[in-house]
Amino acid sequence: MSAVLAGVGLIKKYGSTTALAGVDVEVGACDSLAIMGPSGSGKSTLLHTLAGIVRPDGGQVLLRGERSEMGVPPAEGWGRIDDLGENRLSALRRKRFGFVFQSGQLLPELPAEENVALPLMLEGLPRAQAVERARRWFAPLGLDGLERRRPGQLSGGQAQRVAIARALAVAPDVVFADEPTGALDQATGTEVVRLLTSVTREQGAALVMVTHDAEVAAHCDRILQVRDGRISNYSQFTVS
Amino acid sequence: MRSPVLHLTWHLARSSGRRGLQSQLLAAAAAAVGSLVLLTLLAAYLGAGARADRTAWRTPAPDRHGTAIQALTTTYVRDEPITVVSLAQLPHHARTPAPPGLNSFPKQGDWYVSPALARLLRTLPPTQLAYRFPKSTPYATISAAGLASPDELVAVIGRAPTDPTVSKSADRQGIYDDGLTARSVVSGFAGTRRSVFTADDQAAVLLGVGLLVVPVIVLAAAAGRLGAARREQRLAALRLAGATPRQILAMTGVEAAAVGAAGALVGAVAYGALLPALAEVPYGIGTWYVGQLWVGLPWVAAVVVGVAGLIAVSAMSTLRQVASSPLGVAQQSDPRRTRLVRLVLFVAVLVYIRVSTDGSALKPGTLVALMVLFYGAFWMFGPWIVDRLGRVVGRFARRPATLLAARRLSDDPRGAWRTVSGLVLAGFVAGFFTVGLLGIVGFDHRGQVAVPTANAADARHAVGEARRLLRAAGVDATVGTDDEGFLLGSSDGVVARVSGGPAALDTAVTVLQPLGAGRLPYAGAYAEAQDTAVSDRLAQLGTATLAVSFLVATASAGLTAAANVLDRRRTYGLLRLSGTPLRVLDRARVRETVLPLLVLAGGTTATGLYAAVQVNKAAGSTISTSGAVQLAVCVTLGALAMLAAIGASRPLLRAVTADPAHATD
Repeated sequence: MSAVLAGVGLIKKYGSTTALAGVDVEVGACDSLAIMGPSGSGKSTLLHTLAGIVRPDGGQVLLRGERSEMGVPPAEGWGRIDDLGENRLSALRRKRFGFVFQSGQLLPELPAEENVALPLMLEGLPRAQAVERARRWFAPLGLDGLERRRPGQLSGGQAQRVAIARALAVAPDVVFADEPTGALDQATGTEVVRLLTSVTREQGAALVMVTHDAEVAAHCDRILQVRDGRISNYSQFTVS
Repeated sequence: MRSPVLHLTWHLARSSGRRGLQSQLLAAAAAAVGSLVLLTLLAAYLGAGARADRTAWRTPAPDRHGTAIQALTTTYVRDEPITVVSLAQLPHHARTPAPPGLNSFPKQGDWYVSPALARLLRTLPPTQLAYRFPKSTPYATISAAGLASPDELVAVIGRAPTDPTVSKSADRQGIYDDGLTARSVVSGFAGTRRSVFTADDQAAVLLGVGLLVVPVIVLAAAAGRLGAARREQRLAALRLAGATPRQILAMTGVEAAAVGAAGALVGAVAYGALLPALAEVPYGIGTWYVGQLWVGLPWVAAVVVGVAGLIAVSAMSTLRQVASSPLGVAQQSDPRRTRLVRLVLFVAVLVYIRVSTDGSALKPGTLVALMVLFYGAFWMFGPWIVDRLGRVVGRFARRPATLLAARRLSDDPRGAWRTVSGLVLAGFVAGFFTVGLLGIVGFDHRGQVAVPTANAADARHAVGEARRLLRAAGVDATVGTDDEGFLLGSSDGVVARVSGGPAALDTAVTVLQPLGAGRLPYAGAYAEAQDTAVSDRLAQLGTATLAVSFLVATASAGLTAAANVLDRRRTYGLLRLSGTPLRVLDRARVRETVLPLLVLAGGTTATGLYAAVQVNKAAGSTISTSGAVQLAVCVTLGALAMLAAIGASRPLLRAVTADPAHATD
């Protein structure tokens, strides 16, 4: 596995509570990593830290192919991203990461295809091209014919598939998914996570997913168990 | 069993945290502005009536068995009217009571003046003013009871019954005298006719109130919708926990009414505190006595209750979906489309207005009715055009911010319309009033002074005397009996054409007084008093409506923008988290308001201008250039103020998206 994102010795504290107590983790292209753990274990903090949403109090987050804010990169081809300025971090999240959340990430007033096209337009792609590229995702994700539907006119599973399309539309290096099946029933959730892992792999992107559902986690290549801010268990599956 | 609603509402309101408090403070602020504006409007309406009533004693109420003679006349200094009341006690008759503002009925030679006139008498040379009045004794002051405004110029003069100023020749004679000159035997001062200068004040205020009520209601409604999303989530959870729809509505109503009442009370207190400042705002004849603008506690209570009720109703109306189904909010899928019937109705009204106004002069009442009709039709039409505008812009938008703004417009056209409607309709009103209303073009009376005489022979005789008097006073003038400017109307008399400015004109009026045989000489302002009173009031109305509309519209826009940020914080947070630049979100917010504002405010202002041009054409008058400039300045300032109000919530947007990790919670 060729790692694309790594967290080294990550420490994060909220007041007197330690959310991360020196976590080391890495994820490679076409690799999928499930982070599990009980409530308050630090699994969401770990995802947010790796995604550059939360700055760690200690340790480093490294991304292959990213130029560091200052100084020499820690290793050849790697760039430290936890010390980037807010604007660069924002641009990095837009260009190199994709996000899928439990719900609410789609803009209710935009049709599905425009929700998917929005990150491309933010990158400066002309609207017609952005929409055309966005539409390409609908058939593979089973959304054919739903391009002009608004999020409120979609089922929960369909909305999550649109969110997956939006996350992948910019051809990200890493997709972060935070409880992507949390608001779905078992069958729909299984279908969504199957699509998420397979499409992410096909695109050559890494997937980091937080879930509390063991069945969902089982779709990933690896499972990381987090407890009290530390990795308590690590499993690796052979993906069929 | 005691209803749990009040207890639960209080508990939830207290525990709603900083975000809940922000919404409640904004709602209270909107309620405060709403109640302040409503109380001010009410004060202007009631005050205008009260002070007009205070002028009624000056127009004599005839009584055949009267005890005194009362003569009213009006003279002008620096184009400002001075109301002169001459009184003469009839011998062998019962004593006549004192007129309002005086301690007793004035004896022959006594004279009383208002404080404002006293100031003028002290500052202007006597040849320009003081010599129009008796010189024998020092004057006393008329108290507030006899005056409509601290700025009013009034004189009350005691005369002998044989004095020409109270003789029958001092009665109304010419075509310009209506309301300005009158004479009768009276037994007291129970006159009911309001002065020319105040008679239309209340009606003009009423028209302004009618035009401003809608923006104020919009503001209160916006206050009710503040925090709607937060409330919906909270109450949807309660509904799922088993609360009945009635309990949900009651809790919302109680909370919104309490917040609204608190804000409205603050507005009422602000109104009370601002009364002295409000009284300094001139309207018509001038500034106000503070007491005239105090509406009384029952009205204050009614406004507070009304505003709180309006906010409560607005808040409850946002919960209909939650009340009907716990999943109602989450399942809202269809955009709030507007129907074509709105356009059809609007076009029908336009056609009707066109047909009604084609080729005929409009009466003021008809004009107002047509304006109100247009106003109502436009209110219906607004959301439809916002919807279409959103779709058209959405189709051609190239940038993400414009696309987001356009989709928001067609997603909730009524909401977007509410934000801009105040300014849009103000634009129409302002366009009409500031440009359309001006003096009717008629005869040119500039630099002329008329001296009415009893007959043509007297006029011929007075020409030489007038020349002598003017020459002695150093006034350069030509004098004759010809009346090309129709300043004398149909009366006989002398017309002096004076060279020089207002000082020369006032001197001429003063020195020619002995020739009038009971009538005071007058200049153009006297002849135009009736027209000027109406057009001035309507012009003031236009300016005031514009100013208050902008204030209310700005407050509405600012509050709505802040409320939208709070209600959509999760969406904004998630967009920021996935890398959407803050400036894109901010631009989208601004364009959401600017797009309809540019199209609609521009459109209605142009319509107002067009209507004004048509009315002026029908009336044979010209367009007010200064009004057009005033309009342009006002609309620009209003739009900038609105943008500033929206921009004021930018720090809030920054704050709610500062920690995007919370958005995923």
